[in-house]
Formats: sequence, structure tokens, C-alpha cells
Amino acid sequence: MSKRKPYVRSMDGWWKKNPYFVEYMIHESTALFVAAYCLVLLVGVIRLGQGEAAWNGWLAAMQSPLSVLCHLVLLAGAVYHTYSWFKILPITMPPVIVGGKKMAPEALTGTALAVAAAAGLALLALVWRIAL
Amino acid sequence: MEIFKADVVIVGGGGAGLRAAIAVAESDPLLKIALVSKVYPMRSHTVAAEGGAAGVKKSTDSYDYHFHDTVGGGDWLCEQDVVEYFVKQAPIELTQLEHWGCPWSRTEDGHVNVRAFGGMKIERTWFAADKSGFHILHTLFQTSIKYPSIKRFDEHFCVDLIEEDGRVQGVVTIEMSTGEFHLIEGKSVIIATGGAGRVFRENTNGGIVTGDGMALAYRHGVALRDMEFMQYHPTCMPVTGLLFTEACRGEGGFLVNKDGYRYLQDYGLGPLQDKPKNKYMELGPRDRLSQAFWYEKQKGRTFEHPTLGSVVFLDMRHLGEAHLRERLPLIYEMAETFMGLDPAKELIPVRAGIHYTMGGIKVDAKCAASLPGLYAIGECASVGLHGANRLGSNSLTELVVFGKLAGDEAAKYAKAVSPGNSSSLLKQAQAIEQRILALKTKTGGTESIAVIRKEMAQSMEDGCGIYRTEDTMQATCDKLAELRARFKNISIDDKSSVWNTDWLTAVELDYQLDVAQTMAHSAINRKESRGAHQRLDGPDGAYTKRDDVNFLKHSEAYYVADGAPRIALGDVKITKSQPETRAYGAAGEKADQERKASHV
Amino acid sequence: MSENHKIIEIEVLRYNPESDEEPHLEVYKVPFTDDMSVLQGAQYIKDNFDGSLTFRWSCRMAICGSCGMMINGIPKLSCETFLRDYYPNRIRIEALAHFPIEKDLVVDLSGFIEKLEAIQPYIIPKEPKTLAEGEYLQTPKEFNAYIQFTSCINCTLCYAACPQFGLNPDFIGPAAMALLHRYNMDSRDGASASRMELVASEEGVYNCSAVGYCSEVCPKHVDPASAVNINKANAAKDYFLRFLSPKGGSK
Repeated sequence: MSKRKPYVRSMDGWWKKNPYFVEYMIHESTALFVAAYCLVLLVGVIRLGQGEAAWNGWLAAMQSPLSVLCHLVLLAGAVYHTYSWFKILPITMPPVIVGGKKMAPEALTGTALAVAAAAGLALLALVWRIAL
Repeated sequence: MEIFKADVVIVGGGGAGLRAAIAVAESDPLLKIALVSKVYPMRSHTVAAEGGAAGVKKSTDSYDYHFHDTVGGGDWLCEQDVVEYFVKQAPIELTQLEHWGCPWSRTEDGHVNVRAFGGMKIERTWFAADKSGFHILHTLFQTSIKYPSIKRFDEHFCVDLIEEDGRVQGVVTIEMSTGEFHLIEGKSVIIATGGAGRVFRENTNGGIVTGDGMALAYRHGVALRDMEFMQYHPTCMPVTGLLFTEACRGEGGFLVNKDGYRYLQDYGLGPLQDKPKNKYMELGPRDRLSQAFWYEKQKGRTFEHPTLGSVVFLDMRHLGEAHLRERLPLIYEMAETFMGLDPAKELIPVRAGIHYTMGGIKVDAKCAASLPGLYAIGECASVGLHGANRLGSNSLTELVVFGKLAGDEAAKYAKAVSPGNSSSLLKQAQAIEQRILALKTKTGGTESIAVIRKEMAQSMEDGCGIYRTEDTMQATCDKLAELRARFKNISIDDKSSVWNTDWLTAVELDYQLDVAQTMAHSAINRKESRGAHQRLDGPDGAYTKRDDVNFLKHSEAYYVADGAPRIALGDVKITKSQPETRAYGAAGEKADQERKASHV
Repeated sequence: MSENHKIIEIEVLRYNPESDEEPHLEVYKVPFTDDMSVLQGAQYIKDNFDGSLTFRWSCRMAICGSCGMMINGIPKLSCETFLRDYYPNRIRIEALAHFPIEKDLVVDLSGFIEKLEAIQPYIIPKEPKTLAEGEYLQTPKEFNAYIQFTSCINCTLCYAACPQFGLNPDFIGPAAMALLHRYNMDSRDGASASRMELVASEEGVYNCSAVGYCSEVCPKHVDPASAVNINKANAAKDYFLRFLSPKGGSK
């Protein structure tokens, strides 16, 4: 009769056990911020469909101090999510070969962040022009 | 007791054992194979081999060159028919590894590349960066998974062979995770358990390299042959003994003393070469290089490091970081991690350390031992390939060449004999179980396993080092006899069953003491200097020279219960190379030319 | 060496299945020199304080893959981790996370081995060749496509770093996926289609949520996370190809 009695450790609170996992959980949870802002925009579209009064009401609500604060928080979450998403990009996509050599992970992340920043700024400029 | 009925049992899951298992499986898929290993196969010490595997590859090379390099390198103590077989099979088996996926390093045009190695006349060492053993082992392990007839007994520790009707009929193992005993019946048994370097103190070997299989066969009356020939590797990390592969020198590294002087030119290996030149300077054979280190130390030309002791230096700075990272990535990382230095910028302190057991279980040219049904391969065996000094990169090839041969032979044997009497085999196994259990359950012992092990290792280094004398060897023989007696009084802390490594370490130590005794007694009996066995004594220094009249012979150590081994001398098979002066460097080249001229 | 003996406290998670209900910590005071690894610290305890302390080890040079442990909560090879880097603080060593503990620092690896066996880790030749025909040729490009994934030493640190494996022990996991990818990427092999079923299965790559810590702790820079994630894309492609063409995709 075997005297083996393997002990299985609990996974409770696993994400608190390592700073890397904590960071991972923050990254994952900031996805909710992005989702939340999508909801805000969705509500806007619905309001637009409901006529001018509804739309103006929504616009006014967007300009309240609480809403501005809310925007800033959501923006911070979205920016962090973008940053941390591109940080793990090198392990989530096939190797990029440039001139016969594998592109370094830092270069890959850097490029992706630069592209994201440029796209963000371009969008901002576009919206700015429409608004003016 | 659990019983498994196999046709062929293989003890040892390193390169040789795995190759043999595949050979049996391919020769007849109906044969049941039990592959027993005290570690998961990919942990076996084949994994640590760095440099590569020798086999004729270039069009300018020939089997004859490889033969002569090996026989001369072995100081004419090789079985020459075995070497002839080996050099011809080598490229076939290395190609087989390539077909199985071994990632050999390549040339730009996609062919397998070869590198220079010590004592080899032409580049013929196939390599997978500096992790050749690792890649060979993992390739073989992974390939072995393809064969359903191979039943692995991973983390099973073999405690004895079962012998009946004058032939071997199985093994008894302890399943480490439960502490339970298993009887594995087999019509033939292949031992592939590796070397015994851990009987020495400063060595390149893993903790598992404890000579288990050698002791198993030895206790069943099989001779251990040429055990006095222990290879010192000239470039090891001080204290830990970790290995800096010969490929460091094959790629162009220099050895310098404390004055920055390439001292090998003073020891018949010159003249000085800027670029690696086969059989010159740093590419001389290991025994010569290790001996040169010893002389440098005597002359006070080694560097006395405050914590590392006496060292010389491996200089690879001129090779540049890019080349080193490509060809020697493991070495680069080891230097950084373990020594905190950058080999592209700094000198690496090194000294000679124990590396390889040339001797082993005496087997014939077909890998068969004197006990019918028993075969041995790889470092635990003495098939007669290495003689008195192994050339680097011959041993990885040995694993596959003789692994294949032994697998085929053991399969043939298993098919020819009838199964044994299971009930009497079980009775034997139960008696073995009681004997091994007694080691653990006995009380009142006072000796510590660790202390005996350390005293043994120190004594082997003191008495059977690079240079030996009657007095030092006698002191070691006496010490080992004392330790043998003290071993009877050991105490084992751990009395449990599950994963009791305390107990298994004691069994290993028992094996090691046996093997150490065969080394020391074979050494003191050899009154000459040859290859890795170098003496400083004898009437008028007579033992400092090779003596072909009296000692062109193998040493054979036989087990004597409760006593020192009996040493006999056996003949050496010579086919086409009569003993000559062993020369390297310019002198070696001259001798080569003279031999060629006289043959014309 | 003896003049600068310092003492470090090593806290070890001990578990003896025959006498303990659960693991507990024990502290040992170990004299050490600057060249001593954590493994040597454990060996010192076994040789001098308690012979029953149990751990796996062999090569001492970070290639056999035996001696992985949690060292202050991080999976590492104990042979290449040095006591000096923790002194004067106490150091804690535990069995690799996410595996069942057999005894002390020894974990049950049988599940991992079964996964290795399941992925067909051998060449199934695209074009069979006899030995007499010599070696297969591989261009540097073909060689570089897979060589990184051959470096895995099966130390299983990546499993101890993977919470998804901890939560679902059936997940095939980083090292086994890296090995699968190694064979799929080898120009000599022609069996990637038959390995695809496992990739996309319940135990397959979709268990991975891209934590990425496996690649972080890998001592041989295999980057198993990359192998897993590339195969997510491959599995998805394979799935859709099945609808588009009777020949495309596996099965």
C-alpha cells in the first residue's frame, strides 16, 4: 500500500502572491474601463437617435464636473491598458523578422506604443477640427 | 511486490540506455522493454556534455585517421577491433540522430558542421552549439516516446541484479515516490548507468554519477576493467568543478599561466600556434594538458587565487562576444552566472578536474559481459574504445554506436532464451528487499553518510590524482578499507518510505566505495605511466615511463567479499597499430610523416 | 575561504506525507561563502542538520532541470541562484508552486511528463529519407525558425509561474506547448496538422490568458508564452480554414 499523500496547495488569492500577477490583474481590470467608456458612447448614440433634445441633454451631462472627472479616470485606465497590452505584445504575436534578425521585444513594444500614440493624436486632431 | 515481465531490461535512461531501448523497439516491436532510471531520463548526465560527438564527416578525413587518433590518444590500450567498428558506425549513428531531429549546428549551405577537438587530426566533431549532450539526450528521450513497447520506470532506483541458472534474469528496483520494491524480470539486461566521477572531490559530474551499474555488475563477478584511468579535464571551474568545454579551445581559446604565457609549448605540444591547429598546443589530448597544469603548479607558475586556489587562465577575449555567443552560449552564461565575469573581456580562471571514467564493466566487442544475458554500454562500460585516455567527443558517439549494438544484441539474446522461473526470481527479489530495507531500519549507527562520502572523495583526490605514487595510492587503499568498515556503522536519519533520498544516498555510497576500491587497487597495481595513469616513482623512476613489456595489458578488478578487489591483467586486442611513442605538436606531425613513409 | 563564513537563515517548507497533515516552515542557520548556491545551502542542511530533507538535483550547472524551487516566492533553478544575493535577509525555499508536493521540495511531475508524451515530440518526417542518403539540409532560416524552442530543459519553472495551470492542472502548459511548436516549426517534420487537435482542445492554448510570467522566469530564454500565443492564432486559422476548404485545416 503506497504511503504517498501528495499535498495540493490552495490557489486562493493567487493573484496577490506575486507582484507580476498583481500587475496582470490591474492590466486585465483596466479592460473594464475601456468597456465602460464604450457604454458611455453607446448611450450617446442612443440619445442621438432619440432626437435633438435628448442629444443636447446628453451633451450637457457630459460637460458636468463629475463627468469630466469620470472621463479623466477612464482615460487613465485606457492609457494604462494600452501600455500594458503592448508590453506583452512581443509574446503574443509571431516573431517579427527584420533584416534576417528577430526584432527585440523592447523595440516591438516601443513601436506599438508609438503607433498607438500617433493614432490617438491623429484622431484627436480630426475631432478637434470637426468640433471647431 | 509489484512484478513486471519484460524481455529486455535497461538500467539507465541516459543517451546510451535510450538509444538501446529504441534499437530493441525497432528490431522487434513485440519485445517488451523496461527502461529503468533513477531520474527522469532527460536529467541523466549525458545532458551536461557540451562539446560534441566525433564522426568522420569531411571529405579530407578518413576512418583510418579517426582510428589512429583514438588508439594513439588511448596510449594503445584500446581494443582495436572495437575502434575499427566504432569509427565506421559513428557517422551513420550521428546521421540517425539528425534524422530524429537533433539540432546539429549547420554550415551556411545547410549541412551539418564539424569543429576541431583535442587530439583529433581533422575537424570531425559534430556539435549542437555547446549543448551537444543536452540536445542528443532530449532528442533520444523524445524519440523514445514514439515506441509503445518501451515502458519507462522513471525515478526507480536499481538495487540489484537477479541471477539464476547462470544468467541474469532481471533487476530489483525501488520506486522512489513510494519506497516500494519492484521486481522487473528480463531475459537480458543492459546496464547504462554512466560513470563514477563523484567518488572524487572536484569533478565535473552531476550528483547522480555514482557508479551504480558498475558496482551492480562487479558484485555479480563481472570484472571492472581499466578503472585506474580517470580523466582529468584541463579546463574546469575551480571549486565547483563545472566544465568549460574543450570546444572553448577548439574555437580558438588559449591557456595561459599567471604570467600570461601559453605554457603548453613547454610540454611537447608546440610550437606556438595563433589559430587552433589540430593536435597542437591547446588541442592536445586531455591527459597531457592536465599533466601540464600539474607541472605549472610545481613550478609556481599557476596563479594563487585567494578563494579559488591554484588556477591557470582560459583566454577567449580575442574571439569576440558575437562568436562566443553563437558557438559557446552555455559557456558564456556559466561564466557570467557562476563566476560573475565576461569571457569576451576577462580571463577565466580554470584548473584540471575529474571528468570521465575511462574504465568500467568489462564487455566484449558486442557489449556482452561475462555474465550471460548482461550487457553494458556508455561510460559505465569498458568496451575498449578509450584505452588509457579518452579523446573528447568520442564518448557521445560511443553512446549511440554501442547503444544501438547492445540493443540489437540484447534483443537477439532475449528471443533466444526461455523465460525464467518467476517464483524463484521473486524469492530472490524478496531477499534483496530485506537486505536493502535493513540498511534503513537498523538503529544505533553513528557514522554519517556525508562524512564518509567526503573522506572518500578527498582520499581519491589525494591518492589517485593526476600524478600518483605508491605511498599516496597505498594510503588511499587503506583509507577506503577503513571507510568500508565504517560504512557498516552508518546511521540514516530518514526512516520513511516516500522519497527517502537519505536511504538511497547510502545505497549509492555503498556502490561508490566499491568502485573507488577498484580504482585505487588497479592504480597501485599498474607499475608504469600510461595515458591518464601517471606515476612519479619506481626504482630509478621506472614507473614514470610506459612499460609495454609488462603493462600493455588491461587491469581487471574482481569482487572479493569483504576485502580488497583481486586485480588481474588481461590482453589488449591489437589489429593494425603497434604501440609507438605518443607525440603531439610538431613531434607528432613528424612521427605521422615517418609512419606514412614507412607504409609506402 | 573559512575566514569569511557568514550565517544565513534558510526557511524551508517541509512536508512529510507520512507524518504531516500539511506543510510547515522550518528555519536553519547555514554558514555560507559567496560562491555558494541555494542548492548548496540545501545540501548543507541535508549533510549537517537533517538527512531527511528531500530535493531533486544533479548537474549543478543549470542544464539538467532538476533543482527548480520557489525562492522567496519566485520560481528559480536553485543551482544558479546564490545565497549572497539574499544575505543578510532570510531566504525562503518551497516546492515549485502549482504542483502537488510529494515531500519537502519534491513535487509530482507525472502530469507534466504525460503532457510531454501527448504532443508527439518527435520528427514525423515530411519526406522520409534513408541514412545512406545522408542528413536533411536546413538553411539558416529554417534552423532559426525552431532552434530557440529546442532549449527547454523541462525544469517546469514556467508551470510554477502559470496561474492558469494552477487553476486548471489539465492545461497542457507552456513547456509542452513550446516543445510542440518546436517540432511544428522544424522543416524536417510534416505532422503539424496531427498536433493541431491538441492545440485547440479543451486542454489546449485557449487556457492561456497571456499572463506572460512563464517567459519571464524561463532560465533558458525559450519564451514559451510566445509559442502558446502563436498557436492560438494557428488554431484559429485552422478552425476557419476547415469551413473554407475541404483540404485546409486538420480533420
